[in-house]
Amino acid sequence: MQGPHPDGLALCRIQSALAADVVVGAGKMDIPVTAVYASDLMSDVLAYGKPGSALLTGLNSKQAAISAYMAEFRAVIFIRGKRPAEAICKFAEEKGLVVLSARDDMFEACAKIADLDGTAADPSPSEDLRPPMVEEETIRYAFLIDGHDFASAGMVSTQVKAILKTVGVEPALVRRVAICTYEGEMNVVMHADKARTELVLDDHEIRVVIDDEGKGIPDVTLAMQEGWTTATDEQRALGFGSGMGLPNIRKNADVVDLTSVVGKGTRLEMRFRVI
Amino acid sequence: MKLQDMISPLELKALTHVEDKEVEGIFISDMLSDVMSSAKAGDLWLTVQTHKNIVSAANLVDMAAIVVTHGKSVPKETVDLADRFHVAILSCDGSNFELSAKLHAIGFRPR
Repeated sequence: MQGPHPDGLALCRIQSALAADVVVGAGKMDIPVTAVYASDLMSDVLAYGKPGSALLTGLNSKQAAISAYMAEFRAVIFIRGKRPAEAICKFAEEKGLVVLSARDDMFEACAKIADLDGTAADPSPSEDLRPPMVEEETIRYAFLIDGHDFASAGMVSTQVKAILKTVGVEPALVRRVAICTYEGEMNVVMHADKARTELVLDDHEIRVVIDDEGKGIPDVTLAMQEGWTTATDEQRALGFGSGMGLPNIRKNADVVDLTSVVGKGTRLEMRFRVI
Repeated sequence: MKLQDMISPLELKALTHVEDKEVEGIFISDMLSDVMSSAKAGDLWLTVQTHKNIVSAANLVDMAAIVVTHGKSVPKETVDLADRFHVAILSCDGSNFELSAKLHAIGFRPR
């Protein structure tokens, strides 16, 4: 439970309480959000945020919009008057995310939203447009992730998510795969030189393998521990690198296989059962 | 409001020694750069960050205390550093948003 609005609170009510500017999604202001997640740490958003939430953040980077999309949020509200860049707006527009910009700081915004009465909101009917699962077929895709390329970070997982949605994988499963792929992708961007990524799915299983070339991980067991990190302050400024990535992956994937050779690279295989 | 008086209504847990300070405002952020640029002296800082750098940031801005939210466990080196610099760290199980709602309910308003 991350907010007092289990029945949903229409975005227009939040927008008017905060006197926020609608940056993207003016036509979607009647959509309800069911919770509010206030954080600048994207791994936490991915780990604890609930689908249908609004993200309240001061992290004015594309990673905020990508994380919100991966976690199935409906809106991103930038605080302290931050205006998202064109690339963020374009991404949000494409993915159907609402983007607001509010002048309040995080506490002011939280307090004003907490003051709204969620029960008065009238949630619009949720739509379910997913096509039937493709039968008896193995789908295979390959992608390349560039290490150190923070500008494109998150694009491979965005494509993976779009593919899974298109073939009609159940939304909760899509979300889990997307979150794991995104964390894996960010690890490559932060710590490796490049990686081949493979997505394989059939009726029974979805498999994502991220095979990187880079410095490798000396102690895999240690790396799986929550809070353990070698990220730099610059990387933390992107909302990642808090030592939540691999634990988050383990939480969301059914099977995780992580092998690493120091000086060569790391192979992360994540498998998800399709029921 | 006095920090000591907030511990029980907000169900906070003190991880360090807590001096009796006045809390003058609330600041929520998980980015140290934002804290350094926008937080005010006397603010109570809500964050999910637990890295020992939070102690330096709180100390520089002269914040009333740090509340680590979402039940995050705080590493010993962070707590030790906080004790050394007389920065109070408390923790709570709720999220940034939930604790904001409680603070609002006990009378905190944006300053």
